[in-house]
Amino acid sequence: MVDLSTILAGFADAFTLYNLTFVLFGVVLGQFVGAVPGIGPIMAMAIAIPFTFGLDTLPAIAFLVGVNKGGLVGGAVPAILMNTPGTPDAAATALDGYPLAKQGKPLKATKMALFSSITGDTISDIVLITVSAPLAILALRMGPIEIVALMIFAFSILAGLIGNSLIKGIIAATLGLLVACVGQDPEHFTPRLIFGHWDLFNGLPLPSVAIGMLAISELLRRMSIAHGGNVTSAIINEDTGNPDDQRVTWAEYWSCRYTLLRGATIGTILGALPGIGSTAAAFMSYATAKGSSKDPASFGKGNIQGIAASESANSAVVGANLIPLLTLGIPGSVGAALIISAFMIHGLQPGPLLFTTQGQLVYGLFGAMLMANFLNLWVGQIGLRFWVKVVSAPESIIFSSAILLCIVGVSMATSGIFGVAIMLIFASIGYLMSSFGYSLVIFIIAFFLGPRFEKSISQSLALTNGDLTQMLKSPVAVALLVLSVVSFIWFIRKNAQERADDA
Amino acid sequence: MVGLGDRISGTFFLLLGLTMYLYVNPNYIETVDGGNISPSTFPNILAIVLAVCGALLLYKPTAQQTPDIRSIAITTLYVLLLCIGLYAMSKVGFEYVAPILALVIMLAIGERRSLWLAIGVIGIPVLIWFLVTIALGRALP
Repeated sequence: MVDLSTILAGFADAFTLYNLTFVLFGVVLGQFVGAVPGIGPIMAMAIAIPFTFGLDTLPAIAFLVGVNKGGLVGGAVPAILMNTPGTPDAAATALDGYPLAKQGKPLKATKMALFSSITGDTISDIVLITVSAPLAILALRMGPIEIVALMIFAFSILAGLIGNSLIKGIIAATLGLLVACVGQDPEHFTPRLIFGHWDLFNGLPLPSVAIGMLAISELLRRMSIAHGGNVTSAIINEDTGNPDDQRVTWAEYWSCRYTLLRGATIGTILGALPGIGSTAAAFMSYATAKGSSKDPASFGKGNIQGIAASESANSAVVGANLIPLLTLGIPGSVGAALIISAFMIHGLQPGPLLFTTQGQLVYGLFGAMLMANFLNLWVGQIGLRFWVKVVSAPESIIFSSAILLCIVGVSMATSGIFGVAIMLIFASIGYLMSSFGYSLVIFIIAFFLGPRFEKSISQSLALTNGDLTQMLKSPVAVALLVLSVVSFIWFIRKNAQERADDA
Repeated sequence: MVGLGDRISGTFFLLLGLTMYLYVNPNYIETVDGGNISPSTFPNILAIVLAVCGALLLYKPTAQQTPDIRSIAITTLYVLLLCIGLYAMSKVGFEYVAPILALVIMLAIGERRSLWLAIGVIGIPVLIWFLVTIALGRALP
């Protein structure tokens, strides 16, 4: 499917000074925004996507990957120094990072987080590079019937795993699919739900919806919390004066090898499944490390094993998240959904065909990911002291500049104010949805998959002459539908059990 | 009150689903003869699912807390501010509106330090202008 020359050409494309500059810029930006509580790499990616419009595809995607990876490293800084995770992924890191910083070892804690993050990320990237092409070959054998069944399975997993209610998950997915119906129907191309606005004929612009829902709605939420209040942050920045407390020795790193490997494995497996975010991976890895430790009582009191467990797992999710994206075209997380919108802005359709049509680009992306890991380590080593200062930047300037950047970015991506107006509408919807406990991740993923889902249903009906019982002749489709039903029942029982426990 | 939030949102989605199914879809989706799937089939199914799930949520709410009314009111004011800013941008342009919008947001959040205000009101808009118009060669809104 992809020959060696394509793979080598892809890596050669990646390892140029031009791409290196963009990856470096992405990593620096990612670490910077990750260190600022309230911004995070997802918002940074959302804001940055329209600005990559003028770039070639590879540097644009590589830049965004750099932002995503850098953000995970940066996110650990406020978690450790302020007990305020810059990203939700870093919440588990704060459990041991913050106590270690309070003991006067903030640099040891942040450096352990950096090394663990790089280790987990690199292992996950290697898995991605080795398994994605064979998986894509399998995916290419799937017809519309199997794709419909696969998407039903993905939705059932997403709706059940994210949030605390299966019904609310289904509502979020349904709403996303309904919003995706705006524009034209995929079979007859007649206008649908455009209410006389012909700007909507090609559907609601993905950058407007994604940036509105993910970035602006979060900014609105945080602005309402910060409204009229204290705009400065207090951080821990004391040290003991002992040089050993400001670094991680090789012995300390090596003592965490099993924890790191276990964290990377958990992160990679969970990351490959759509919907299970890095936060879940970090907490699962932390709990496993604590459970298998000879001294579990030391966890939560500044044990570097706790930092190693959470950071290696949450960073491993990033690479593995691209497995369903590149092999099936299904984004497994918000970060992956944003990378998909970047692919689409550059005229590419993610999925198994990408390996055939754009194999060189895919391997260029893999090369950029590996490059980003090394740069993450390098920038982190130099920048950690600087990011400590960044966490004290006032929210007022961060929020106002992020809003201006979102407005400009969406205006550039959608060629006008109309797209910005759509962004504001979806920001309000996103704010209300998150306030009432609905998952924005499911909404965005369903919105992205909606047209493909409907098209696959239409193609399946054409193939089966309208007789959907023909689907039963496909063992893969049947297996996926059975799994959907099983997961559906399992989530209903799990929710009922949780409700009973709460009561 | 526990469960009230879900009852409110459940009622909303029940009504939204019914409105979509009974009024919006029949009036705003064109009908087409032939084909495998009518343009309204998929939105109709989704509207029904939405209404049913809304009803289920109404019947069996989770322990979701009711959102804080004060936060929603403050957010509404920020949304209105952004709408006004956007309208003004469409009339006079980003370069004139952005500093004022940034100033109002920073003051509303509680920023009073002149250095940070200067950075947010002058520095950031100038930086965006430079990035977009000079570096990227694109037009500002």
